[in-house]
Amino acid sequence: MKNRLLIDIGSTYFKVSDAENIQQHFRDFNKDIYDDLKYKCSDILEKYNKDDVYICSSANGGLSTLIIGITNSFSLKYATNIAFNSGINIIDTILYQDIENTTVPSDLIDVVIITGAIDSVSDIFDEKLFNYLNELNYSNIVYVGNKNDSKYLSENIENLVILPNIINNKLQVNELQLKEYLTNLYQADIMGKEDIKNLYAITDNQIYSTPYIVNKTLPLINTMFKVADPFILVDIGGATTDIHYSTTLINDNMVKDSEYDRLVFKKLGVFKSKESLIFAAKNNEFVYELLSFLNVTEHIFEEQSDKALKTLMQLAIFLVLYKVSKAHPLYINLKLDLLKSVVLTGGITKVLKQEEVESIIGFFYKKILSSSVKPNIILDSNYEIWTLGITQK
Amino acid sequence: MKVVTGVVGNDIHVVANRLIEISLQARGFEVFNLGVNTYLEEFIDAVIETNADILLISSLNGEAEGWCRELNILKSKYKSLKDVVFMLGGNLAVGEAKTEDIVPKFKNYGFDLVFHQVDLNTGLDELEKYVKAKK
Repeated sequence: MKNRLLIDIGSTYFKVSDAENIQQHFRDFNKDIYDDLKYKCSDILEKYNKDDVYICSSANGGLSTLIIGITNSFSLKYATNIAFNSGINIIDTILYQDIENTTVPSDLIDVVIITGAIDSVSDIFDEKLFNYLNELNYSNIVYVGNKNDSKYLSENIENLVILPNIINNKLQVNELQLKEYLTNLYQADIMGKEDIKNLYAITDNQIYSTPYIVNKTLPLINTMFKVADPFILVDIGGATTDIHYSTTLINDNMVKDSEYDRLVFKKLGVFKSKESLIFAAKNNEFVYELLSFLNVTEHIFEEQSDKALKTLMQLAIFLVLYKVSKAHPLYINLKLDLLKSVVLTGGITKVLKQEEVESIIGFFYKKILSSSVKPNIILDSNYEIWTLGITQK
Repeated sequence: MKVVTGVVGNDIHVVANRLIEISLQARGFEVFNLGVNTYLEEFIDAVIETNADILLISSLNGEAEGWCRELNILKSKYKSLKDVVFMLGGNLAVGEAKTEDIVPKFKNYGFDLVFHQVDLNTGLDELEKYVKAKK
């Protein structure tokens, strides 16, 4: 295989990989990403042509998205799923019938997605939608609902992009065009960000979002790690926590091409959102038992030490598993009792040792699932997972 | 006419589900079959997304009551469901139970047509009669 240079720009680290090795560097936040990269990796960068350099990034925060759909089980769920798997951050979803009583977000929304009903249905949307959109501050808007309403909506909504319906006539999901649109929008967003834009000086290839690349990696994961299906991949990074999971872990009627889906927990990052992580931990009914299990007290939250950081990382693992477990019925429920492997990647793998991860996952399985059997745990300590997907078309 | 159908709750009687789909199609209905293991919320949502005329829920394992008693609450959330026909059929109780007790109970939950241990074709004949009379 042709030797290529692969680069992942994270919110705290960047990683540079080729056939010979992987380098990781803490980002210098006083420098432009491109300058920082050139300064730290000039030797390796000089060896490669622009068309052999592939870059993905999660450093620009991603696109913020608002989705308006007509039901939770179909239009909203399908659009949410497509957006997550395209590497997009969803700030809110709105059930259309409640739109009049929904608070309008004050933040600028990068993209609004409107969807609902199969193609033979019509007259779903009316003035309520236009009134809401008039109050909303957004940059892009796309319609992926029933065909019959598209003319009416395009006449009343400026700059509306119309794509094929994401719900086909058998109530199955059609994700291709919306996924491509969102991925391209992410690309356009990157092009507008000075920091990332400059990276095109070293690559001729499209820069994708890291979550999108990780999703492409999952079907290939066995070529790198001994992972048994079904599995979850937990990426606990500086700002957010992502879970990519095998769809066999959920009860779902969604028929789609990919075997894997993604969830994002915006408030479970460890560095940028330390306070929100501590807040979530303090509000968990098992927190004292958990701290006692880890041999620490509540005071650890105020400390600035290696031990405190390790505890926070372990808490993050517990909280994210808790959130998708049957103990938290209001959220998505993964069948964790069927889980065969947990793969951990991101900043967490730099802090925790294998036995520390095993210990907290063992505690979770015993306490929450009442099981002494726990899944196989794999640490992607070298941050390699993203390298599998980055060159896949 | 459009019909949303499927087997409710934890029921996995897939053969019955397939027979219902085939029979509905043979009678000229456009069928959206959600299959087995379907929650009531999903049925309602499918009716909204397809603008269906009829929701036909089947239940064979006798546990329909636990899964269907909130129909009226869900119906009340959407204004567009007032003309939809809600039908439930199959084996609607565990063990011995009298039709005269079961039917009013489920009608009280919000179903227009309820068939306990009635064969499929009889049930569908009744559905067609009901729809015709409603016009």
